[in-house]
Amino acid sequence: MSHEIDITGLSKSFGQGAAAFQALKEIDLTITSGEFFTLLGPSGCGKTTLLRIIAGFELPSTGTVRINGRDVTSLGPSKRPVNTVFQSYALFPHMSLSENIGFGLKMLGKPKAEIRATVDEMLQLVRLEAMADRRPSEISGGQQQRVALARALAPRPRVLLLDEPLSALDLKLRKEMQSELKRLQSETGITFVFVTHDQEEALTMSDRIAVMSAGQILQLGAPQEIYNTPVNRFVADFIGDTNFLKLRVKAVDAGMAVLELPGGKAAQASLPDGMRPATGALVTAVIRPEQAEATGADEGDLHATVESATFFGTDTHLHLTLADAQGFVLRRQNRPGQPVPAPQSRLGLALAPGALRVLED
Amino acid sequence: MARSRFSITRLPGFGLIAVLTFVMLYLPIIILVVFSFNAGVSQSRWDGFSLQWYQAAFNNAQVRDVSLRSLWLAVTAASIATMLATLAALGTTRVGRFPGQTMIYALINQPLMVPEIVTGIALLIFVAAIKVQTGYTGMGYLVAAHTAFCIPFAYLPIRARLETLDNALEAAAADLYASPIQAFRYITLPLMVPGILAGFMLGFVISLDTVVITEFVKSAGQDTLPTYMLGQLRRTVTPEMNAIATLFLALSLIVVTAFFLITRTRGR
Amino acid sequence: MHGHGWKWLLCTPALIVLLLAASGPLLIVAVYSFLSPGNMGGVVWEFSLEAWFRVFFRRDIFEPDLVEWNRAHLQVFWRSIWLSLQTTFICAVLGFPTAWFIATRPRHTRTIWLFLITIPFWTNLLIRTFAIQEMIRNNGTVNAVLMWSGLIDSPIQMMFTEFAVLLGMAYVFLPLMVLPLYAAMEKMDFSLVEAGYDLYASRLNVLWHVILPQVKPGFIAGSILVFIPAIGAYVTPRVLGGGRTMMLGNLIALQFGQGRNWPLGAALAMLMLVVVVGALIFYLRVVGRNDEARRG
Repeated sequence: MSHEIDITGLSKSFGQGAAAFQALKEIDLTITSGEFFTLLGPSGCGKTTLLRIIAGFELPSTGTVRINGRDVTSLGPSKRPVNTVFQSYALFPHMSLSENIGFGLKMLGKPKAEIRATVDEMLQLVRLEAMADRRPSEISGGQQQRVALARALAPRPRVLLLDEPLSALDLKLRKEMQSELKRLQSETGITFVFVTHDQEEALTMSDRIAVMSAGQILQLGAPQEIYNTPVNRFVADFIGDTNFLKLRVKAVDAGMAVLELPGGKAAQASLPDGMRPATGALVTAVIRPEQAEATGADEGDLHATVESATFFGTDTHLHLTLADAQGFVLRRQNRPGQPVPAPQSRLGLALAPGALRVLED
Repeated sequence: MARSRFSITRLPGFGLIAVLTFVMLYLPIIILVVFSFNAGVSQSRWDGFSLQWYQAAFNNAQVRDVSLRSLWLAVTAASIATMLATLAALGTTRVGRFPGQTMIYALINQPLMVPEIVTGIALLIFVAAIKVQTGYTGMGYLVAAHTAFCIPFAYLPIRARLETLDNALEAAAADLYASPIQAFRYITLPLMVPGILAGFMLGFVISLDTVVITEFVKSAGQDTLPTYMLGQLRRTVTPEMNAIATLFLALSLIVVTAFFLITRTRGR
Repeated sequence: MHGHGWKWLLCTPALIVLLLAASGPLLIVAVYSFLSPGNMGGVVWEFSLEAWFRVFFRRDIFEPDLVEWNRAHLQVFWRSIWLSLQTTFICAVLGFPTAWFIATRPRHTRTIWLFLITIPFWTNLLIRTFAIQEMIRNNGTVNAVLMWSGLIDSPIQMMFTEFAVLLGMAYVFLPLMVLPLYAAMEKMDFSLVEAGYDLYASRLNVLWHVILPQVKPGFIAGSILVFIPAIGAYVTPRVLGGGRTMMLGNLIALQFGQGRNWPLGAALAMLMLVVVVGALIFYLRVVGRNDEARRG
């Protein structure tokens, strides 16, 4: 696999002096050819700034951007083999869909026949052949989204940059477009760099995800890796739902710790690399709500009292209190005839092996 | 009696005053138009339908002369003003704050704030001085005066149009390999066209209406339609004047309607 | 893109024309008001405060030391201000119900009413003044109708009176009051009106305590927009008022015509400019304070 984008030592500051704001701090990142790469983080984390620097709309304060080995740091957007799908789509309102899609090729000076052929191919790819002569204002939001995609794909860029492209669509349309995007990416083989703040979107679509916060990349990896082994509290909290428990260390051994659970029982938990807490210290351990199972009141690793239950259709969230008054959320899949535990009833919790993990705060 | 729903927008007597206001606003104009078709000389007694006053107006060489001058002046001044206002709008809109911006705004809008009579006598003094120095007595003075007066009116809709344009459109053009000049040529300029057209139309109507400034700036033999009418109003007025005024009104109405339609559809 | 030079460069052509044919000449007017009048119009380049003196005072022809108020001028000033205030008042009284009427129409017909108010605004002021003249002439429409109905035997003299000027100005400047009032009403929160009625207010209470405070900025804008061109009026008083009911604009023009006293005309023009700029500053300060109050 070859390197598509190499980013080294990239920083970006806005403003000057005391009012300066550092949007990106020393980012190093490699994106490989043909992957679906996602920049995920809350608003203001720097993901859009990073995308705009790759596109060429912003100059970095320090560092370099290489695309396919070529240094493009100081090149304008019209000199880079990347195209962008804008959050607002930015379709040209005075042009037909065909003219929109063909614009990049026209600017590159391609012959008319080639432009027409590529435009037809793109219209077919996004299934809008019948609407070639319409104006952007005459089609729906989802269709505009597909035109924006076709327009950015038409010049056959090495990399397609997508800036929260699905945020303006309603839920059902968003799901449709997610699979549409995956299809387009595998059909064209173009590298996609996708920016989103929606963790579910990132998990379902990406080959790799970079979780960003405050101008830094906190974790980089495949969706399963990010979900199952978050490196710190922020990632664990941002991706999916998590129970955080304050527990005391009983013993430490080779990347594993034995933790004392509320109610007196003990459980093994994995330790992050390089962390060796002292025996008797308090650490933060995490466990996903679906990685425990309800048992009889006197069985299991933990004992809990039910506070309330919230019905979600596919599953029910039980809000529990543990023996030492810490809160715990249990997600239980709904089955026909299964009773919902009454408030103040007691139950036991069996933790899945390997589910409990200690995190650095 | 049927019970009507309580209306929160109803205020006693307001509807009546409003309707009377509209009647008062239009009645004088309608009477003016109606009597331009009167067969007799009277403004108050209907003597039958006739187009004789239109015929008289068309046959009046002086009326033809001043009308053509007015149209020529309006087209020339509005064209120049629109070009200058377009450049100024590009320099002042969507560019962030810059030193001297307030002064530029003040200069552009100054003709809107100063009474026409003050501008008129100021130009009279200035033009008199230049005439003594250069001996030039052509239409240049009127063109310059009308252009300056039209600039703020032309600037307004162009600026408004530019402000509604999404910055991402130009970014998208650059992303799709367009040079800055190509982005302007293919994206910004075509999207500005409704604003530019509206600006030209406002400038055209304003120049056509301008009477005070023209009155003080014009040299001998440079009467426009409004200054000609102003001179005629002192004499005994025949319905020929109604005919001229009606044609003038019709022209303004067409331009204003076109302006209204252009600015209303620009959201699309 | 870093320097600001290109922005200035784009503005330069417009600024040159404006400086030459609008702003620059105003400075010359200021200078001329401190010079001495020439014999056949024009000026003599000698510094003099005489023009400014004569704006307000006059000297006895035979005894130059005998100074008295220039009653003719003061009368014109007073008439200008009084007629402008009355015009503003009439426009407000007629404009408020009209703007309310437009603002409360259903959305699709509202545009048509708004268009009907806009048309006179963009049609020639001279023609609209002419239309009024045709109405109120001795043998005009109004007198003809009154005589036909037997209410009067001989025509009422309306032309060349202050009434004619007032009528004409109210007629031509009315749209300038309606448009900003309408803009303010359109932005108004009508649920506040409902809340007023819900809390037992009468229609008059709602008008006074709920509606008027909300449209006050529109009222101020409309009043300034009417008052400023009324103070500067020239065409309307010239056509409808004639020589006996001169306003400030006509007095200025007179100095460049028969009066042949350019410095005096320049000083009077400066006086007018001061009044107009004063009204504008008052407006900006009031609007600024309203904005602050809303933010705070």
